Amino acid sequence: MKQLLSKADPYRPFKIEILERRQEVKDTFTLKLDVPLKHDPGQFVQLSIPGIGECPISISSYSSSFLELTIHEIGMVTNTLSKLKKGDTIFVRGPYGKGYPMKETKGKNLVLIGGGCGVAPLKGVVSYLDKHRHDYGTIDLFFGYRSPEHILFKDEMPTWKELYKLNVSVDKAPTGGCYTGNVGFITQLLEKSQLSPQRNAAMLCGPPVMMKFCIDILQKKGFHEDQIYISAERLMYCAFGECCHCMIKGKFTCLDGPVFRYDQIKEDLNEEH
Amino acid sequence: MKSTKPTVGFYSITGCAGCLLSFIFNEKEIVQMTKLVTIVSFPFIHESAEIKEVDVAFMEGLVASPEDEEVLKEVRKKAKTLVALGACAHTACIPGYRHFVPKDSYARLMYEKLHKIKTIEPGPIDKYVQVDFTIPGCPPNKREIIKSVVNLCLKKQLKNYTSPVCVECRRNNNRCLLEENRICLGPITRGGCNAICTNSHFECWGCRGPTDDMNLPAFIELLEGKGFTKRDIRERIIAFSGQKNPKVLEVLP
Amino acid sequence: MAVYVLKKGDLEKFLLFLGKQGELIAPVKKDEVRFEPLKDPTDLYLDEQTYIPAKQYFFPQEQVLFTFQDDMIIPVVAPIKKRIFFGLRRCDLAAIQHQDIAFGEHNDPHYKKLRKSTILIGYQCTKKLHHWCFCGSMDLPDFYDLMFFEQEHHYQIDVGSAQGETLLKKSKLCRKTVVRISKEQKIVPDTNLLQRKDLGKHYSSKAWDSLVKKCISCAACTTLCPTCYCHEIKDDVPVSLKEVQRKRTWSSCQLKEFSGVAGNYTFRESRSSRFKHRIFHQLQYFREKHGVDLCVGCGRCIKHCPPRIDFIKVINKL
Repeated sequence: MKQLLSKADPYRPFKIEILERRQEVKDTFTLKLDVPLKHDPGQFVQLSIPGIGECPISISSYSSSFLELTIHEIGMVTNTLSKLKKGDTIFVRGPYGKGYPMKETKGKNLVLIGGGCGVAPLKGVVSYLDKHRHDYGTIDLFFGYRSPEHILFKDEMPTWKELYKLNVSVDKAPTGGCYTGNVGFITQLLEKSQLSPQRNAAMLCGPPVMMKFCIDILQKKGFHEDQIYISAERLMYCAFGECCHCMIKGKFTCLDGPVFRYDQIKEDLNEEH
Repeated sequence: MKSTKPTVGFYSITGCAGCLLSFIFNEKEIVQMTKLVTIVSFPFIHESAEIKEVDVAFMEGLVASPEDEEVLKEVRKKAKTLVALGACAHTACIPGYRHFVPKDSYARLMYEKLHKIKTIEPGPIDKYVQVDFTIPGCPPNKREIIKSVVNLCLKKQLKNYTSPVCVECRRNNNRCLLEENRICLGPITRGGCNAICTNSHFECWGCRGPTDDMNLPAFIELLEGKGFTKRDIRERIIAFSGQKNPKVLEVLP
Repeated sequence: MAVYVLKKGDLEKFLLFLGKQGELIAPVKKDEVRFEPLKDPTDLYLDEQTYIPAKQYFFPQEQVLFTFQDDMIIPVVAPIKKRIFFGLRRCDLAAIQHQDIAFGEHNDPHYKKLRKSTILIGYQCTKKLHHWCFCGSMDLPDFYDLMFFEQEHHYQIDVGSAQGETLLKKSKLCRKTVVRISKEQKIVPDTNLLQRKDLGKHYSSKAWDSLVKKCISCAACTTLCPTCYCHEIKDDVPVSLKEVQRKRTWSSCQLKEFSGVAGNYTFRESRSSRFKHRIFHQLQYFREKHGVDLCVGCGRCIKHCPPRIDFIKVINKL
């Protein structure tokens, strides 16, 4: 296990080979990289292609032999990343940031709530839980996607169903399709659930609006703000607290986050007011 | 770096050909550039004006006559990517000023034979066809042209510079011309030109078009505070990019 | 530390001496005053604040971090020049110290490379240089190798470091004195303009909005700021497609794209949130993290703001 951090120059990335490229859904793919990276679930790396640029990508695996990154094609770098194949090389530095508090929540029940590609870092948490299942109580997974076509990690779902309470919902499903699961926002499933705040911690990742509604529901169910952890997204260049683009008021998403305890960040999240 | 070798065509409608020259003026890089792309059409290089199928078409000039419109639509049909090259194509530039003045006010100044030319309302090319990318400026920045060609070859998403001219101008350590009480449009004009005019102490006339984020009312208030009339300000803004700055006419009718 | 004396008439000789020790950079007036290599000692101009601060000598507008050559990373190797800065004001010096904190925290080699082998010689203001100087509110430290205090016929030179004193001795133009620099000499009169307060409570105040209405988003405030250090990283590809350069360039929180993420979402969209971010980073956030304000009270961001947005007045009224 190692870390891809240069002491001589914090900007310097390391060349890494792609072991495998999997298309997850239409606009999302996973790169499996040949590096046993020592990291916490919820941390991220800076991924770059010379000439195209660099961008932060959260880690979606937890393994001592490889690193997986599930990437949503949305910007210039991710569009180019999607064209890479097995055997190509890319540049990586990291890991960076604070991940989900796996040690602090040991012995507790967990609720993982993810929306769209926000499920990717939570998959890293789930992989961690796979290996440390006995350290935790009940584990509820709530994963929401736009449509059946957008559901990520279908191959993992049978295992997840066995080990955890898996809830999946899609916002919309075409009538007459073969999808037979839940339809509606993930918030509806969350609302219906019998979650108890006792000895529980919630870990969220997804679009800001989705997280906001989920937090409201959790609070109605009696969760305290310090039991809720969210992952924030911001524009980032350096990833080590120097370029200042990721500041959320005085906090740095790359150093103090991307995972924040909700009570410590909620006042700052909306900088427009 | 991996790259493909795209076919590229340069075409020209009403304009001064200065934008095409800006491409050629990359003396150091032009030979290497021909290794990156296959130039299938270029008015100064190829005699024939035939419009061919290309990966990327660079279109110089504005639409000011029915023929312009025809050529433009043909180019669009045959190009996978259409790039508006220069201010005429982007904003209709100085020739587009005709849009803001009644013909009676200038007809007497025209040569006899000009009256016979069939004209239409002058407009930027995106008024007629879909434009995929714009390289702004009168003339366009020659480095920016190279960058676009390189990015096209790398299939890197083309992205416009969005900050105002002021940013580059002050990074170049220039004195602010507004401080000298001159109408400099730097604050409302998108940069990427490396502040070429203000570097030479000539105020920005806004040839690269307005920034998306401009605060026009505050800018007008600032200039009025310096003693300029609404008319001065309006004329300056519409000179190069009036058609891309409809807010001006709302604020300064 | 020791104090030396230099006769006013010997300043030119002293500057010539400095020019032989390394590249001498000092305020020079053309259309504006800038820190420039001083070719002729008579070009030295100390009557105004420099329009451009010294920042760009250590944190350039654009800097190549390294080059990719066929998938290999090649560091930038450049000889390190010895540079001597003369005529830095107390605010300019503090700004360098604060940037040292910002970049030093991460052991940034690209900043360090340009920053080391530098001698900083300050020049204490005896009166405020312009209407918006507010260094008196900022509690600026002594941070220099040498600091000049002007007297009627001579300069008192306060020694701030061993390398500063070595330089003085080597010049053979100065003599040691028993006189000490008083506290009062280090304070510029009438510059205590800004009332210091915990801004944290005032983020949502409507008072900011009246200012922001006038902002034309030209980013002059951040570009001319001696401490603003926010930056972005971009790759530059030459026509040869070889030797891709990864570059660091200045950026400005006053521009919308500063906080925009892929998918077309901007976290600080309104001019008011951008404006407040600058003020808060300068006068609140940096202090929360490093125990010292980033801002040094030089007032350039007000003096050179085209609509002259005076945030001091607003903060004082909060």
